[in-house]
Amino acid sequence: MTQPIKVVHFLNQFFAGVGGEEQANLPVEVREGAVGPGRALQAALGDSGQVVATIVSGDNYFTEESAASARAVLDALSRTQPDVVVAGPAFNAGRYGLACGEVCVLANAEGIPAVTAMYPENPGVLEYDTRAYIVPTDKSPVRMQEIVGQLARLATKLGSGEGLGPAEEEGYLSRGIRQPGLRTDSAAKRSVDMLLARMGGGDWSTELPIRMPDAVVPAGPIADLSNAKLGLVTTGGLVPRGNPDGLVRGGSTEYLRYSIDGIDSLSADDWESVHRGFYTAIVNENPNYVLPLNVVRDVERAGGVASVYPWVLTTSGVGTAVAEARKIGAAMADELKSNEVDCALLVAT
Amino acid sequence: MISAIFSLALTTGAPRVVRGSRIEYVCGDPTLGPEKDLAYSGEIVGAALGALTTEVSEPTLFTPNVP
Repeated sequence: MTQPIKVVHFLNQFFAGVGGEEQANLPVEVREGAVGPGRALQAALGDSGQVVATIVSGDNYFTEESAASARAVLDALSRTQPDVVVAGPAFNAGRYGLACGEVCVLANAEGIPAVTAMYPENPGVLEYDTRAYIVPTDKSPVRMQEIVGQLARLATKLGSGEGLGPAEEEGYLSRGIRQPGLRTDSAAKRSVDMLLARMGGGDWSTELPIRMPDAVVPAGPIADLSNAKLGLVTTGGLVPRGNPDGLVRGGSTEYLRYSIDGIDSLSADDWESVHRGFYTAIVNENPNYVLPLNVVRDVERAGGVASVYPWVLTTSGVGTAVAEARKIGAAMADELKSNEVDCALLVAT
Repeated sequence: MISAIFSLALTTGAPRVVRGSRIEYVCGDPTLGPEKDLAYSGEIVGAALGALTTEVSEPTLFTPNVP
């Protein structure tokens, strides 16, 4: 029997059981053996592989201290010398997805194959889909066992040097790479078959999916800010204290508007954040961190802008599907434009 | 757009991106003390207003000074 492959697993602070958002600043650390979902990974690997170590990082730390995180991960990999790295699954957790993608890229740069898993709309897919093997998951960990099983299968192949076949056969997201290969039928026959299927309403799929970038044409610059009306937007879950209109903490499908007319600064007595995607204790002491109204009023008084639109537009920017986010953004832009707002500051958390 | 996860904002194609402070306090930094915290908020908003008056043709990062 062949030697079991050595697997190093990467987890965030939540899945490693350290804690939630209040522990998101945890620096990168290394644990021996399998932790949390790593135990299921170990079970799925069976005799073919062993989880020798688990790298754990806080979600904020990994994003904000990217250089230090990268050094710590590379150091851990050089000490543990794994045959393959498994990261996540991250599901729909954005910072975690980005971290998992980065860990895969770091491992690859050291010649170590890696695989991760996350929801196809996770920002980690956007950033790393061409550079990492990513197994698609649901938004939530309901099917954790199944996903971990897929990760174990791909990790075993990668770790034993076997390599992976095409995305659609192996069950990972396409990396946009075309490999030369032979098909049974000629291109002429395949394209006519495809055309007939398409015209006849049958099943067909392109051999060459093209991803269109979601390009936004930048608005022109404002010539004279002192003549401009400025709008203020935040995705920081900002609401009047007590959340009178019940803004959801995440997965929002709408935005709310609140009057800031005559208000000089956002007081913690009157405002709070209900955002579920970051630790809000600091913002809840000073809500200006998600909407710097205090500074904007100084600018306004000094004539830096002609006026400030008297309504703040707000939502909780976490866990919203891209299509919904697009609708929210378009509706916000409509409101601002129809009220002759010239430009806007958007604070994204 | 002001964001602490500015690299993602650039990847998603936001034309004018201002580097925010931290995920838990995007527009300032309470660890600097009240005076510098407020000055940093001013730098961030200033960078954002500067961005609005700047012609850009692609996602562009604006980095405020940290006091």
